[in-house]
Amino acid sequence: MDFYLPIAEVSVNAPLLIALGAAVGFISGLFGIGGGFLMTPVLVFLGIPPAVAVASEANHVAASSTSSVISYTRRKAVDFRMGGVLAAGGAVGSLLGVEVFRWLRLLGQADLVVSLSYLVFLGVIGALMLWESLGSILRRRRGDAPKPRKDRRPPWLYGLPFKMRFPRSRLYISVIPPILLGVFVGILSAIMGVGGGFVLVPAMVYILRMPAGVVVGTSLFQIIITTSLTSVLQAGRNQTVDVVLATLLLIGGVLGAQVGARASSRFRAEELRALLAVIVLAVGLRMGLGLFFTPSEPFVLMAGNG
Amino acid sequence: MPLDAAPPQTPPAAVSAALTTTNVRVTSSFRGARIVLYGAVLDPSQKPSDVVVIVRGPDAPVRMARKTRIAGVWVNSRPVVFEGAPGFYMAASTRPLDEIASFSTLRRLGAGIDHLRINAPMEQRIESRYGVRDVVVSGLGADYLDWRRAVVRLKEASGLYAADSRGVSFVDKGLFKAEIDLPTGAPIGVYSADIFLFQDGQPVSSRTRGLTVEKAGVERALYLFAHQRPWSYGLASVAIALAAGWAASVAFRRN
Repeated sequence: MDFYLPIAEVSVNAPLLIALGAAVGFISGLFGIGGGFLMTPVLVFLGIPPAVAVASEANHVAASSTSSVISYTRRKAVDFRMGGVLAAGGAVGSLLGVEVFRWLRLLGQADLVVSLSYLVFLGVIGALMLWESLGSILRRRRGDAPKPRKDRRPPWLYGLPFKMRFPRSRLYISVIPPILLGVFVGILSAIMGVGGGFVLVPAMVYILRMPAGVVVGTSLFQIIITTSLTSVLQAGRNQTVDVVLATLLLIGGVLGAQVGARASSRFRAEELRALLAVIVLAVGLRMGLGLFFTPSEPFVLMAGNG
Repeated sequence: MPLDAAPPQTPPAAVSAALTTTNVRVTSSFRGARIVLYGAVLDPSQKPSDVVVIVRGPDAPVRMARKTRIAGVWVNSRPVVFEGAPGFYMAASTRPLDEIASFSTLRRLGAGIDHLRINAPMEQRIESRYGVRDVVVSGLGADYLDWRRAVVRLKEASGLYAADSRGVSFVDKGLFKAEIDLPTGAPIGVYSADIFLFQDGQPVSSRTRGLTVEKAGVERALYLFAHQRPWSYGLASVAIALAAGWAASVAFRRN
């Protein structure tokens, strides 16, 4: 069953997109990430123009994150106050990101920046996460005691002004680091068509030192706000949101996210992190390494008339 | 009977043609379209005739970049805009075009992909070189042909440009037909099909037929909504996303 997409102006296979949405939604619920970093490259590979893929994917990520964040809320695993602070930064970031993306498209360098961002961010985060999670899996197999959590918290996190209490995360820290983190993730959201969970989750654990239990839910909550805003901005500024594409993806996505969120409690956290690390690393390398190979066609047509 | 009488007047050769469809509707099930053009050559003199069909879609500037290697990484050059390239172009004929007419005739009619008027891009700048002021430097220069060939190659790969030197076939005496294949990515707009009758290397008669490709139904409504009221469209699409996420989670809790 093929569908002609009104904005992307290509014809796509509807059951395939629903199945893809479900698969990515499952991963999204399982790991507490938006799943955009997986879906956007797949959409581009299927022939959807990159600008439309990035913008419509933000919409899909908002849907599957909503679906899973509600289950996390019931388990009291969302720090709404921290999520709100992150989202305030995220709003600024996505405003900036949509303008940056527009400017990069005019320069003809959007593809390059997208590929490089995938290579750098996914490559580095995937490698770090894999290293850390394999380490903890090995330690447990050997029966060693888990590495003691460093209680010395970084002074820059505590020395900064504008401190705020986050009772659910049991933190009393300055709002500056979460806001900056939010801005950064908002920019990524607009440029890469991702929610940014793969950056947020490790950053919340290792930089903000939030308790592991609330990290995933809070990350998803902030992602909903950032991607919703990105989606509206992309539609308003660039007219690149394809609602038919997003709807096809989210039909599968919201269901997959529910199943994934339930499945997540059956796995150990470090095993989940190792698996996610492998996926992140593979996508980053796949997207980025193409930049180093000699292209078979040296010319590229670009959408839009600058 | 006057001796200097003109030879008996024969009506001039003429061609007539029609399209099976003049209005292609792009709906959600659109997967490209095949349109048949059929026509007749009316020529009492029975001279050997050739028919050339040229179909053009609406002009759309082509924006293109060339990948260059910088520090080991393949990077797009600055994009170059080609004006006047048709968004869709098809040339079909009874024989290879260069056997039908001369280079200059084909060039004048813009018949054949080699004769498309794709204008050299406005990539000129004026600068001082070797102490000489106001030298006009074309951004492309000698590379122009490479770029032009690339436009044609990429458009052919996506089915938007096509040339078929046997695309027009005579199905009966004086009756011919040609097929126009519109790919899914065919641009929206007004197309024109020019049908030329060639005799002795000259176009002796021609006809022009119009063709409209337009979005219809839901596709059209959504496209217009997205472009005319982009902010409401964005809010509506986010509302759908959030509602769907919420609905799924409610549905699963009941289970």
